[in-house]
Amino acid sequence: MEILATFFNVGLVVATIRTTTPILLVALGGSFTTKAGIFNIGLEGQMLIAAFFAVIGSIWTGSSFGGMLIGVAAALAFALVYAVLVVSFRANEVVVGLALNILAGGMTISLMKAIFGTRGSVVGRGIVGLPKVQLPGARDILGPSYAQLISGYTPLVYVAFLSVPLLVLFYARTRLGLYLRVVGEKPEAAETLGISIARVRYIASLLCGLFAGLAGAHMSLGYITMFTENMSSGRGFMAVAILIFSAGDPLKVLLGCLLFGFADAFSLRLQILNFPSYLILAVPYAVALLALFALSWRTRPKLIRETLETMRNALAGKPQDSGGKLPSDNRP
Amino acid sequence: MDIAVKLQGITKRFDAFTANDRIDLSVRRGEIHAIIGENGAGKTTLMNVLFGLLQPDEGTISVNGKPLVVTSPAVAIAEGLGMVHQHFKLVPSLTVADNIFLGMEIRKRGLIDRKAQIEQARTLSRKFGLNVDPAERVAGLSVGIEQRIEILKVLARNARIIILDEPTAVLTPQESRDLFATLRSFVEDGMTVIFISHHLEEVMAVSDTITVLRDGRVVATRGKSELSKRELVRMMVGRDVSFDRRPRSPGSGRAVLSVSDLWARDDRRLPALKAVNLSVSAGEIVGIAGVAGNGQTELAEVLSGLRPASHGSALLHGKELLEHSPAEIRARGLAHVPGDRLARGVDGNATLSANMLMGRQRKQPYSRRGLIDWRAVDRETKALMQRFDIRARGPRDLASSLSGGNIQKVVLAREFTAGGDFLLIDQPTRGVDIGAQEAIHSEIMRQRADDKAILLISTQLDELAALADRILVMFEGRIMGEIDGAAMDEESIGLMMAGIDPVAAAEV
Ligand SMILES: Nc1ncnc2c1ncn2[C@@H]1O[C@H](COP(=O)(O)OP(=O)(O)OP(=O)(O)O)[C@@H](O)[C@H]1O
Ligand SMILES: [Mg+2]
Repeated sequence: MEILATFFNVGLVVATIRTTTPILLVALGGSFTTKAGIFNIGLEGQMLIAAFFAVIGSIWTGSSFGGMLIGVAAALAFALVYAVLVVSFRANEVVVGLALNILAGGMTISLMKAIFGTRGSVVGRGIVGLPKVQLPGARDILGPSYAQLISGYTPLVYVAFLSVPLLVLFYARTRLGLYLRVVGEKPEAAETLGISIARVRYIASLLCGLFAGLAGAHMSLGYITMFTENMSSGRGFMAVAILIFSAGDPLKVLLGCLLFGFADAFSLRLQILNFPSYLILAVPYAVALLALFALSWRTRPKLIRETLETMRNALAGKPQDSGGKLPSDNRP
Repeated sequence: MDIAVKLQGITKRFDAFTANDRIDLSVRRGEIHAIIGENGAGKTTLMNVLFGLLQPDEGTISVNGKPLVVTSPAVAIAEGLGMVHQHFKLVPSLTVADNIFLGMEIRKRGLIDRKAQIEQARTLSRKFGLNVDPAERVAGLSVGIEQRIEILKVLARNARIIILDEPTAVLTPQESRDLFATLRSFVEDGMTVIFISHHLEEVMAVSDTITVLRDGRVVATRGKSELSKRELVRMMVGRDVSFDRRPRSPGSGRAVLSVSDLWARDDRRLPALKAVNLSVSAGEIVGIAGVAGNGQTELAEVLSGLRPASHGSALLHGKELLEHSPAEIRARGLAHVPGDRLARGVDGNATLSANMLMGRQRKQPYSRRGLIDWRAVDRETKALMQRFDIRARGPRDLASSLSGGNIQKVVLAREFTAGGDFLLIDQPTRGVDIGAQEAIHSEIMRQRADDKAILLISTQLDELAALADRILVMFEGRIMGEIDGAAMDEESIGLMMAGIDPVAAAEV
């Protein structure tokens, strides 16, 4: 019981909420492009570049808010380049996304070297972290130990979680949300009604950049105020996986991200038990992928049946057009 | 004279191919102007140019006397043009009302007002007698209903010049008559209608002026009264075409398909087939008549293994075919020409060769030692293109770049040569020009003479009259009755299609 209590407590919930935030932000951003029919794997790079420029911005302006704005601007610049190449020049989405990810990785490293003269990470040097928001009244209502469940997070945590219902409303009830879905599902329909596919896709890409930028700023100015090489560490790709399984639906995105965040927070706790740290670092990714896989379990019978059938035919060495003799005509 | 639309010297090329060649066309305000021509004559291309979906290489457009550069459909819509496309452009996951108001949503405080949209869509559908349920999702609706939604979409935009590209291809004669009554009331209101059709009877019945296109050029524009149907056919095809009942010899009578007490549900889980009994023998064409959406699609899907049956049996050569996969049923002799050619007939993004290859990728000479021999596929495809008169530049053309009728011929060519002895043919001549219709009918009769068993689903009564040995009439998932194809009587079929038993009706 003692052990369990050290694992499962209010602190774990709070930690889950914190670790969920960056991936939730970036995945919600990706939901715009997913809905608009763009397979955007450039999330990782947009997040990383934003994290770096948020740090620089906070040093230059001396304010965390200024840092956040500059970080978001950097992500938007990347998103714009992405949109120009993919939407206007019809370049391959995956290739452009990958290229921009690689560019972001290399650019942050070389800029870090040029500006700070270091490799690895930037710490201190006047970086201003985002403030913690104390909700007035939270202590009175929930008491001192539970107040931290809703109060004391950085502003972007609230932005991330409040965005979920807003996005649900956005897709269901606003014109832009509807157009995004239509452009993704049936572009010809949009075209014939005079809705510009290119414009909608640009907007989707830029909205995506905005959220990826917030995610990046949260990473480097949120709970830790520093930038390290490749600090997004695959969260952008994780978000892509979640987007594939959720088809960009905000509620399903939230579920997927919570799962990842929980596994992430939980693995931090596991460190108490002295597991090898590289194993622990892999836990959240493995858990999230397994869960996502489990979600698609119901398509299993058909998949397996068809695979077995193909293998049986291949093994028997007979082509399938063998004149219609079936192994069995008994109905189950 | 008041001209609503004037096209001058319109030329549209696709690479080296000229789809429209210096076309002049004037449409008077308040008339119904029909545009006819063979598959691939350039009718759809011309309308797409007018509606701003394609940019002409040469030529000018003026609408209501005003020169206009139609850079996009938005420009056309703003000038009061509306277009109902040959291939529907509806969003399946949205409701009927959402689709109707897409691009002109009704909003309240910045949010889409679904209630008001449904209300208005209902008013609109009542006003024009186009019966739809606005709150329903479009996915899973029949093509007939989709057509109505497309027309409502245009009406909701207050279009004054309405272009309809083969609007009646999916409608029954009754529905077409209703539609034309509606179109008549439009022009009486001062609207203008341009429509494309392959049905010369309806063209003759409803239009004021007729323009004939051939190979991308205007052959003639004449007032209806100056023309006879025969002349029209000559102008279109260059020869006489007959649609009389085909002569036939009796088939062997061996039962190939027998369906008993078959039940199935549609996508909304409502019963779509109710206790269907039928049989088809070798050398026989059994026609299924009925208003679109009365279970014909579901029947075809169940028999081809695409939809589970809830009860009953269907024997192909005496063996149960229900619960088997489409591949297994095909291996036993089914060839299937689906009703919706773009959804199930072809892969539009694949080449003609790849489309012909589907289903035979393991056979000689298409593949050898497990590798596909594309040279052989191209060769076979070329041969089929010739035999079925498929108009395209070559086997490596994308299926989607073909005209509607030619896409249909691709499906027919593949299925009729697949070697099956049970042909399930759903709407074989939907959107096919009359010259090609005749060719397809001849091909179906050739298959019959080869002792194939043929189940022919059609909403076109004249087609059934020309081809079928027996006609079964479907209404709300039931077979209402059977009629001898040689002695077909439109009135009793009409009654049965409306769900009235003619015998009972006669007694009253
Ligand atoms: N996007 C395209 N790319 C290349 N060729 C095309 C394209 N669209 C149409 N064509 C070609 O232009 C010609 C005219 O096509 P169009 O669709 O206008 O014919 P249609 O008269 O409407 O025929 P149908 O009665 O079969 O619908 C056809 O030969 C077709 O293959
Ligand atoms: Mg056409």
